[in-house]
Amino acid sequence: MKTAAELKPGEKAIIKDVNNDHPSAHRILEVGFTPGQEIEYISGAVFSDPMAFSIRGTIVAIRKNEASCILIKK
Amino acid sequence: MHTDQKINVTEKKTPLISLVGQPNSGKTTLFNFLSGKNYKTVNYPGSTVEYSISKILSKHAIDANILDSPGIISLIPSSPDEKISVNSLHSHPEFGTPDLIIVTVDSSQLSRHLLLVKQLKDSGFNVIVALTMKDILHKKGFDISEKRLSEMLGCSVVSIDGKTGGGIDKLLKSINENIINEQSGREINLLRLPHNKRKDSLLEAYREIESIEKEVLYSRNSDDNNKAVNLAKINEKLVVLNPSNTQNRPDQNTLALDKILLHKFWGLTIFAVVMSITFTLIFWLASPLMDLVNEGFTIASDLAVAALGNTWYGNLVSSGIISGVGSVLVFLPQIVLLFLILGLLEDSGYLARGAMIVDKPLSKIGLNGKSFVPMLSGFACAIPAIMATRTITNKRERFLTIFIVPLMSCSARLPVYALLIAFLFPPETPWLGGIAMTAIYIFSIASSLVIASIVNKFSNKLSGDSGHSSFILELPAYRKPKFNVVVAKTLSNAMQYVKKAGPIILYLSIILWFLTYFPNHSPQIDTEGKQEDEVSELINSERIATSYASTFGQFLEPVLKPIGLDWRVGVSLVATLAAREVFVSSLALTFRVTDTGDDMQSSLLQAMKNATIDGTDQKLFTIATSAGLIVFFVFALQCISTIAIVRKETGSWKMPAIQLVMFTGIAYIMAFITVNGLRLLGIN
Ligand SMILES: Nc1nc2c(ncn2[C@@H]2O[C@H](COP(=O)(O)OP(=O)(O)OP(=O)(O)O)[C@@H](O)[C@H]2O)c(=O)[nH]1
Ligand SMILES: [Mg+2]
Repeated sequence: MKTAAELKPGEKAIIKDVNNDHPSAHRILEVGFTPGQEIEYISGAVFSDPMAFSIRGTIVAIRKNEASCILIKK
Repeated sequence: MHTDQKINVTEKKTPLISLVGQPNSGKTTLFNFLSGKNYKTVNYPGSTVEYSISKILSKHAIDANILDSPGIISLIPSSPDEKISVNSLHSHPEFGTPDLIIVTVDSSQLSRHLLLVKQLKDSGFNVIVALTMKDILHKKGFDISEKRLSEMLGCSVVSIDGKTGGGIDKLLKSINENIINEQSGREINLLRLPHNKRKDSLLEAYREIESIEKEVLYSRNSDDNNKAVNLAKINEKLVVLNPSNTQNRPDQNTLALDKILLHKFWGLTIFAVVMSITFTLIFWLASPLMDLVNEGFTIASDLAVAALGNTWYGNLVSSGIISGVGSVLVFLPQIVLLFLILGLLEDSGYLARGAMIVDKPLSKIGLNGKSFVPMLSGFACAIPAIMATRTITNKRERFLTIFIVPLMSCSARLPVYALLIAFLFPPETPWLGGIAMTAIYIFSIASSLVIASIVNKFSNKLSGDSGHSSFILELPAYRKPKFNVVVAKTLSNAMQYVKKAGPIILYLSIILWFLTYFPNHSPQIDTEGKQEDEVSELINSERIATSYASTFGQFLEPVLKPIGLDWRVGVSLVATLAAREVFVSSLALTFRVTDTGDDMQSSLLQAMKNATIDGTDQKLFTIATSAGLIVFFVFALQCISTIAIVRKETGSWKMPAIQLVMFTGIAYIMAFITVNGLRLLGIN
């Protein structure tokens, strides 16, 4: 299963699910990364960590390992 | 769900209105409009960390208290600190339960912000929605139907223009109607949101919100709307792929800028350049302004001497008060510039990017990207910076940030560095001074990071339990800093600086003057065959050598000798415990800067150049000792207010005690190494 951590800059995807086991999962859902939403990977810091995604009209930066709990389909 | 508390609002008391909302949604801006106050608003999520309460301005004709609060993302807490925030929302320990909540909702990201509205309504709060950032939404080509939104949410909705304050009157009308209804004696039952099944109920809430969003959000230009529909018809696949309202993209300029400013290579380069320019500018842009302040105080001091004559009180006013206070205020322009540049950065939206860029390296040494803003504001003053660490959710990371913030070169150290740099580098080459200043800042940052990583390695007990580390931060839309707002903010910061430091400098200057002038205020010396100038100089040096300050300072000599200093600098160092800037004014006093036509600062520099270690021909201020002093100031924790705030924020004396011993110890050792190392190299 692909995750948001694997996106390349400029790539878009639709969120399929958020992995509940990750300790940040709930916060990630709360800031708007919910299934069905379209995200775009805007840009990342060095080593693509953290990564900045466009979501629900704004940009939110999260760590790469937090992005890896967001499951996507392209 | 269980009932948390019952409140009966029949008893007549001043109603409490709380401002609640997501970080960076415009709460403080609205608070300032309603209360007439001037609290700090910053384009960074998490600028407010403390509750502030105020009466609503009397011109608004509503008798109520309004409470500004730190931004929250959700009513379901994710950390112990968030739990405290949510509890305070239900019932603030000091201010009680709000009779009305105004939720600020950033209309340009409606669905994210409606989540909190929904949670508040579900908990049974009495809510009014204030839609902010309409201008950003309009720029995206969208608008919101307030009427429809109000119907669907079942509460009043008012738009507020954060720039002009437009819409406040409507909001007041809503508040009035609402409070009158409330006062009729209705009982509020507040519920706590369930913690279990968080995911399901969250997704359910978002689904509901999305359907609301679809109803209320519309394209401003109906042509556009048709186009979009047509386009959608042509490209059915697009519709399938974009089930939600994906036309609501982030601000276009912001996206374009972020492609560069968050670029792997350019992002980091620009970050480094921005930071170095900041510190270089501070030094050399300020010098013409400093000359102006300097001249002003020199004239004032001369006037005092002329008016009061060469008496003890004339001396008190001219050397004690005017040149004491003046010697520090000379550096005010640099401090103003520092505040100005920080203010511009804050208002632009870049800070959040900075935090993101440094998250990875900082996380390697036990800090967090969110440590960046507290560290940066530590360059102005450690007190608000330490409070700003409250946005760091992980306790261990937060405590480590608090630990190193006092090592950031705060504005109180600026006068000290500026004086010593002016001593080390000739005035004809201000750029050299600029480079030296930048180097000091870089050195202080680097040392703080080294200390952080060492402490992180060897101490697991700094904070006890830690929890997992996380970095989730909204990157707000860039905006052109509103120059007049930033200037106003800077000036009010500078005023605060003067108000805070001014009296301390004044009192200490008077005390120090006393200690250096008495007991032997008119010493007997042999005046035969000497010029008048010479005589007064001899009187001065005799008086100070037999003064209280000298007696006291002799005690310090054994400690000071190893770092090349004498009792006069020692007395100044002791005085810095009240405030670091006092170092400069007390040097000015102990080196007896009597104005002989020269302006104040250059005569202090001259006095420093001439000063010799007691009873020898050896110069006191050399390259080695000045560099040693700079190093000492980089590390030493000479600030009582910092100790107090660390105690308050960490809840015990442990951390401030460790900081005091450790930083002052390092300061002394490093100064010793610097002075003696340079001497060994033959630099003196
Ligand atoms: N464009 C625009 N900017 C606004 C508006 N209202 C506020 N701002 C800006 O948005 C930024 C955040 O505003 P604040 O009032 O500090 O937000 P806050 O909700 O108090 O933020 P926190 O204290 O961090 O939770 C500031 O830079 C404001 O100047 C508005 O209506 N339009
Ligand atoms: Mg605020």
